Amino acid sequence: MTRSTKGRFWIVLLVLSMIVAACSGAAEEAGGDNGGTSATTEAPDAGGGDGNGDGTTDTTQAPEATTTTAQCAGEDNVLEVWGFGATGLEPGMDEWGAANGYCIETKIIGYDDHHQGLLTALAAGEVPDVAVVEVGYSSLFKGSADAGFFTNLGDIGANDLEAEFVDWRWAQGVSNTGVVFGIPTDVGGMGLAYRADLFEAAGLPSDPAGVAALWSTWEEFLDVGEEFFGAGDPHFLDDAGVLYQVIATQAEQRYYADDGSLIYDTNPNVRFAFDIATDAAERGLSANFAAFSPEWNTAMDTGEYAVQLAPSWMMGYIQSVAPNTEGLWSVTTLPVPGGNWGGSQLTIPAASDQVDAAWEMIQFVLSSDNQFAVFQNNGNFPTIEALYDTPELLGTTNPFFSDAPLGEIYAESVKNLSPIYEGIDERPILDAFGRAIDRVENGELTGEEAWEEALAEIQLDVG
Amino acid sequence: MTQTRALRTKRKKSRNDLSGYFYIAPFFIVFGVFGAFPIVYTAWIALHDWNPIGTQTWVGLDNFTFLVSDPRFWNAVRNTFSIWFISTVPQLLFALILAAALNNALLKWATGYRMSILVPQVTSVLAVGIIFTQIFGREFGLANYLLESFGMERLDWQSGVLSSHVAISTMVMWRWTGYNALIYLAAMQSIPRDLYEVADIDGANTFRKFFHITIPQIRPAIIFTVIISTIGGMQVFAEPLIFGGNSNFTGGSDRQFQTLTMLLYEQGFGRFKFGYASAIAWALFVIILIVSIVNYMITRRISRE
Repeated sequence: MTRSTKGRFWIVLLVLSMIVAACSGAAEEAGGDNGGTSATTEAPDAGGGDGNGDGTTDTTQAPEATTTTAQCAGEDNVLEVWGFGATGLEPGMDEWGAANGYCIETKIIGYDDHHQGLLTALAAGEVPDVAVVEVGYSSLFKGSADAGFFTNLGDIGANDLEAEFVDWRWAQGVSNTGVVFGIPTDVGGMGLAYRADLFEAAGLPSDPAGVAALWSTWEEFLDVGEEFFGAGDPHFLDDAGVLYQVIATQAEQRYYADDGSLIYDTNPNVRFAFDIATDAAERGLSANFAAFSPEWNTAMDTGEYAVQLAPSWMMGYIQSVAPNTEGLWSVTTLPVPGGNWGGSQLTIPAASDQVDAAWEMIQFVLSSDNQFAVFQNNGNFPTIEALYDTPELLGTTNPFFSDAPLGEIYAESVKNLSPIYEGIDERPILDAFGRAIDRVENGELTGEEAWEEALAEIQLDVG
Repeated sequence: MTQTRALRTKRKKSRNDLSGYFYIAPFFIVFGVFGAFPIVYTAWIALHDWNPIGTQTWVGLDNFTFLVSDPRFWNAVRNTFSIWFISTVPQLLFALILAAALNNALLKWATGYRMSILVPQVTSVLAVGIIFTQIFGREFGLANYLLESFGMERLDWQSGVLSSHVAISTMVMWRWTGYNALIYLAAMQSIPRDLYEVADIDGANTFRKFFHITIPQIRPAIIFTVIISTIGGMQVFAEPLIFGGNSNFTGGSDRQFQTLTMLLYEQGFGRFKFGYASAIAWALFVIILIVSIVNYMITRRISRE
């Protein structure tokens, strides 16, 4: 090789390396859009959550997945469904598709990614035929419904269904001007899941009635936890942020007054929930696992903590990520009743060209029979009120949860719920409180400092 | 007769001129559609309270005045510069040393080494991010294991400002050092041999040759890498995003490693404040411009000496 050809060789190599760099740059963006990959192979998120509780690595646990059922002959008979976790409705969708000659294409991505991507998709007009909207984002999408981005299901027959559904859940799928844009899939009524074996080992009663009798306030709940579990292994709680999120919903109002004005800084129940959560963090009762993180899933399976505040959809989640704990869990009522965590609506974007088929499918999967089947299989609690008094539902138990009276516990928790006014910035406000609590758990701030920080952060964002 | 010939050549000449524009047109069309137009349109959006679904109202310079008073913006500026500095300076120095070593005529298997330093570059940034995030994990990370085996305290790499910046910078360095080394190497290969021969005759040692021949001779390559690393460093996004866990655009619970691009994404696609996000984008553009000019002047002065 002469010197000049050698030089040319290096120039070619340099150019090649730049092309490689450019290509990997493109790959970067593609990866970034999906919010990263996830190590798990299942899609366990059963519908509700958001788990915001923690700032650092929260939410999105459900890995991306695209599944296609049946043979798709052409574009005409494909229904595209976007969601953020297993709603438990997939088997029903497939059943409907098989009977009616449709293929269902389901795309599952992370919780925040899904909702933020959906809003961008609506703006761009590249929409799915059916989109899941969780209650944490319902208020944001009400504005989109008013602007005509969703099919008004009221125009195509939803008004006939309204009477069957729980009224306040129905209202979460209705915009401010009365556009019915979503039909509720499930209610996130609350229970308390606990590890019966760990309770016994700590010298506590382990039957649902006995555990329920241990405490009647959240303060007592923490006191008992500290007395019997201390700050050691196993921890009492998984995550202080989850505790905050649940207690904050146990009131008539949360971040907004009924007239839509912001009261997150003055609402005594928000402050109370924050204080209980930071108190638990400061006393070392929380194992500080970000909800929905891979570590959280592992800890659930290996028994690193004793108590899990559990909406009914969490039953499906626990079973899918913690198969080794079968029979070790039990469920009882919360120390203080009330609260809702999660639940979703099924919507049809206005730009879908399969509105009629999508509506047929939604009616099928949200029928009374199918909702009951979903509750049996996946834990998501139905939204059809007539089911709540049926002996079949009330008698539901599950050996995975030591045959605790799941049906009774969750039916009771849902009956007394009242609607909370939800404004457009629910999600960022919850997020800011969650991150502040996280910093208390990390030992960076006291509860009082964290409260001030959270308010300052929300002030900047929401104004 | 002469007149028509003159006319014909003139026409021919102008046709030649025209075809020249056709040859360069593809670049300018692509640049116009994907480069110039978005820049201008972003400026237009930045002057609005712009909701992708809903209303777009004219607000003048409000987004920019809020930007200047927003502590999250200055925090992101600090983080971006800090991560850029911690990653770029050692990266370029190391690349220079690596290139000098690979340029050694006595080195065996030279091509093999030269190829292998590019390997980190072809690795997906996602894979790099995931692996390094595990290395710097709180509970089971390799970095903490090493710290402990040297008798030091384990660190919660994510929660600290400096520790998280160091961890992210490590990822950036790992990916880009080889790339820069290759550019230096290519430049070093084109330095005329006689310069070194003359220096040898004059009795200059290796270090003198390196500082007085090699560095000044590869000055354009150094300027190029400094500017490219600066532009890249100002836009660092994937590494801190993956480091913070899925979809976490706040860069930690205290925004301790949220960079400018992450803030931009958070405001734009998380909070749907497209107007404010566009203002951030323009601020980023101006910052990169200023830093590049400063870079250029400093680098030119240093290598002239």
